[in-house]
Amino acid sequence: MITFQDQIFMQFLTGFSVVAILMIAATGLAIIFGVCGVINMAHGEFIMIGAYCSYLLREYIVGPNFAYTLFLAIPLAFAIVGLIGLLVERTIIRWIYDRPLETLLATWGVGIILQVVAKLVFGSELKEAKVPHILDGGVRVIRFLQFPYYRMFLIVVAIVLLALTFYIIFKTDFGLKVRAVRRNRRIASCLGIDTAKIDMTIFVFGSGLAGVAGAVLAPIKTVSPSMGFNYAVDSYMVLVLGGVGNLWGVAAGGGIIGEAETVLSFLTNNVIGRLLVFLFIVIIIRVVPRGIFGYQERR
Amino acid sequence: MEKVGEKQRIQPAGGKQRRIRRTPLIPWWALIGGAAVVAAIGAYGETSANNYLLSLLGKFLCYAIFALSIDLIWGFTGILSLGQAVYFGIGAYFVALSLKINYALTHPTRYGGKIPDFMEWNGLKVLPRFMEPLMSLPFAIACALIVPTLLALLFGVITFKRHIYGVYCAVITLAESLILQDAIIEYQAYTGGFNGITDYGNITGPVFMWFILAVTVVFFVLARLLTHSRVGTVLKSIRDNDVRAEFMGYNVANYRIFVFCLSAFMAAAAGAMYAAWVGLISFLDAGPGFSIEAVIWTAVGGRGTIIGPFVGTFLVRGASFFLSGVLADWWQLIMGGLFIFVVLFMRDGIVGTIGNWWRRQRGATYGGLVEEADRQAHDLQAEWQRDSGGAPTREI
Amino acid sequence: MATLLEIKGLTTKVSGYTILNNLDFSMEENELRVLLGPNGAGKTTLISMITGQYKPHSGTIHFAGRDITGWAPDEIFKVGISRKFQVPNMYETLSVFDNVMVSLQGPRKVFAYLWTRVKPAEAERIWEILELIGLEGKANDPADTLSHGERQWLELGMLVASNPKLLLLDEPTTGMTDEGKHRTAELIRRIAQSHTVLLVEHDMHVVRQIAEKVTVLHQGQRLAEGPLAEVVQDETVRAVYLGKGKFS
Repeated sequence: MITFQDQIFMQFLTGFSVVAILMIAATGLAIIFGVCGVINMAHGEFIMIGAYCSYLLREYIVGPNFAYTLFLAIPLAFAIVGLIGLLVERTIIRWIYDRPLETLLATWGVGIILQVVAKLVFGSELKEAKVPHILDGGVRVIRFLQFPYYRMFLIVVAIVLLALTFYIIFKTDFGLKVRAVRRNRRIASCLGIDTAKIDMTIFVFGSGLAGVAGAVLAPIKTVSPSMGFNYAVDSYMVLVLGGVGNLWGVAAGGGIIGEAETVLSFLTNNVIGRLLVFLFIVIIIRVVPRGIFGYQERR
Repeated sequence: MEKVGEKQRIQPAGGKQRRIRRTPLIPWWALIGGAAVVAAIGAYGETSANNYLLSLLGKFLCYAIFALSIDLIWGFTGILSLGQAVYFGIGAYFVALSLKINYALTHPTRYGGKIPDFMEWNGLKVLPRFMEPLMSLPFAIACALIVPTLLALLFGVITFKRHIYGVYCAVITLAESLILQDAIIEYQAYTGGFNGITDYGNITGPVFMWFILAVTVVFFVLARLLTHSRVGTVLKSIRDNDVRAEFMGYNVANYRIFVFCLSAFMAAAAGAMYAAWVGLISFLDAGPGFSIEAVIWTAVGGRGTIIGPFVGTFLVRGASFFLSGVLADWWQLIMGGLFIFVVLFMRDGIVGTIGNWWRRQRGATYGGLVEEADRQAHDLQAEWQRDSGGAPTREI
Repeated sequence: MATLLEIKGLTTKVSGYTILNNLDFSMEENELRVLLGPNGAGKTTLISMITGQYKPHSGTIHFAGRDITGWAPDEIFKVGISRKFQVPNMYETLSVFDNVMVSLQGPRKVFAYLWTRVKPAEAERIWEILELIGLEGKANDPADTLSHGERQWLELGMLVASNPKLLLLDEPTTGMTDEGKHRTAELIRRIAQSHTVLLVEHDMHVVRQIAEKVTVLHQGQRLAEGPLAEVVQDETVRAVYLGKGKFS
């Protein structure tokens, strides 16, 4: 029979995919916050739209039998949500970069609008987007317990995304400019870097990543207008714990929170699991106020 | 530009040059307006037969107190908490539970049980031991006021003492609120879960209305006293430039903790009265959606003013009441747009904008150069803020 | 004259870079000292260390006989050290009068001021200071309507109001016109008559206007110290400053 240790081990493994999900969701937010200094409260809704892209693609465009829907959905979601991000940035955010607290409120409003629009257009029933055929099934881990291929796929996607972001930020000219802006905005602009354009590009890129997160999440979570909010809050916690301005922070934060929440939720229940993780974060913050990998001010 | 040593401009002490323009503690128009509003609502309570509007007014008053509590920490001290509803909700739940428990004793369910119906539905046979003290309403009220304040104290000591503020604080309070909301839903045997607590013999009628009015007035006057005093100016200085305040010798963390606990106390009191008056509370009253909505009421009315939250609450909730029935989902759309509109175009809110206009009418000394100076100042400030990534100016 | 500030062996690392390197520095009471040095020499860092913004890697800071190494900024303030930032730092939405009022020397505890505003004696003092900095005509105006120069003076006024024993001024003439700089230098000289002042400055005109004793920092260490005329003649100082600033 399946022992308790077996179950814990399964939870631990599943935790990795949760970590992957968190990392995918949080990366976009992390670069936006790290470079532009604003938190996008509509992040959850951006994820939701990406998920709907996946669903729409399957339902109306390519049909349920197309094996490679997901691989189309990813760029599509990136493009669409990126465009929405562009719209939001140009009309709203760009005027209020100097007031980060108020961008919270404004983007919360954007989130509400997106949720309502989704509800009006798609209805609030839960929709489904299926896992692509080739990723169906899973690997037999322990006797009857299966670790789904799709979850492994998610881990791969997370690593690829993080690596891609890392590459862009650290190995390209554009990334050099981005890092200059993040380090010292004033000097960067003196050196001729168009900081406004960098902000815009980063916001669009981060939004696109959120869309990708949604597209990739759609097959394993039900799609509904309000699905994004919990991921958003989890992403914020990843940033708070892991630290901003450093991609390791996303990995560390996502890793700790993902695993801890999965295992603890299994041992107790969802709410206590989250509460314990929250308390853990608060305790850690006392020691490292800007997150594990964040830039600490010495006092 | 003044020149050095231009003595003729400096009058001896007591001369016209040395007058400081200050609004009085309670301006005459506030006294008259406030008295009128209180009298109107109170009289309506005494005489009206239409209980629904009265019920609404009482509700709005509680909301206004809640909005005021948010104005104290956000408008005056610059702390944006997206989870103030936690304190409102805890206050509300304590009172509601107590009332419900007592109600159930005298109104047995159809199964004959003397415990609240939601407990029965969830399989409880008797009142849980730890809830028995709630049978005493005074005890429940004390808990409703003290527990949230202590929680706020704990939160303040943990976060503010480590200089965690701004966006981080906002996000942490958001998570806190969400967790409480989830906990309420999860532990439905004790909290009524998704359906909330209802049907517990809420207290209505003119007497309680006068009580709510009295509490509202007391809180508003208290808030005015606080913000009009030097402490109020210190809080504003913390909001404007907490680094400077710290280097000027103020223990910024302690001030923040003080105002945060005060705000939690007010929110809790508002929640307690709300539960007693309205007769229905649910997880929504403790969640982030409600918290953030209250922030918007304050913003619409005018943050950093005392009347602003009151005006904003009544306006927005009033509009919501009349329009949401007609517009349904579209009203939510409008609300979302309102968030954006207020942040972009109406930073000072209604009361703030009127106040600015009034000040200019009375001939502020900087006359027509205000726009230019405003623009310059705004540009400079924006630059400095962005240099330091949104934090107050710091250097190495 | 008694030694007011005594710094021994101060070493500071920021992000792995050593900014202050085993620095010895001292000041006497009622002195007006000017701190010179090229960019990156560590002048602002030294001020940050004294005011407690960062903990040093090693070394000690003694003030009026007490060891204040590693204290928190508000505690250091209470001991009598005030700091002016490079960028004017004041409370934007408060009026000029209120900016000074909030900075007045006095109790800082939360419950001290709950029922009071300004006592008459305090108001007198505030007006005195406003006259000193030349902003008495703008007492009611919000601080963010002031010009850049006026903001610098306001912050100076706020510091004077807090009545510190030691005033640390970090490039207070930044961004001013020549006339403004001249005026500011006069103001500082007047302030220095009754306080101890450490002034970081780049503009040699200002330095020449008011400097008595001068310390030159370079790469976190003390390069030269002495009367201005002497230091200016020093060969190493000239070499370090070659191409930067004008003095003849």
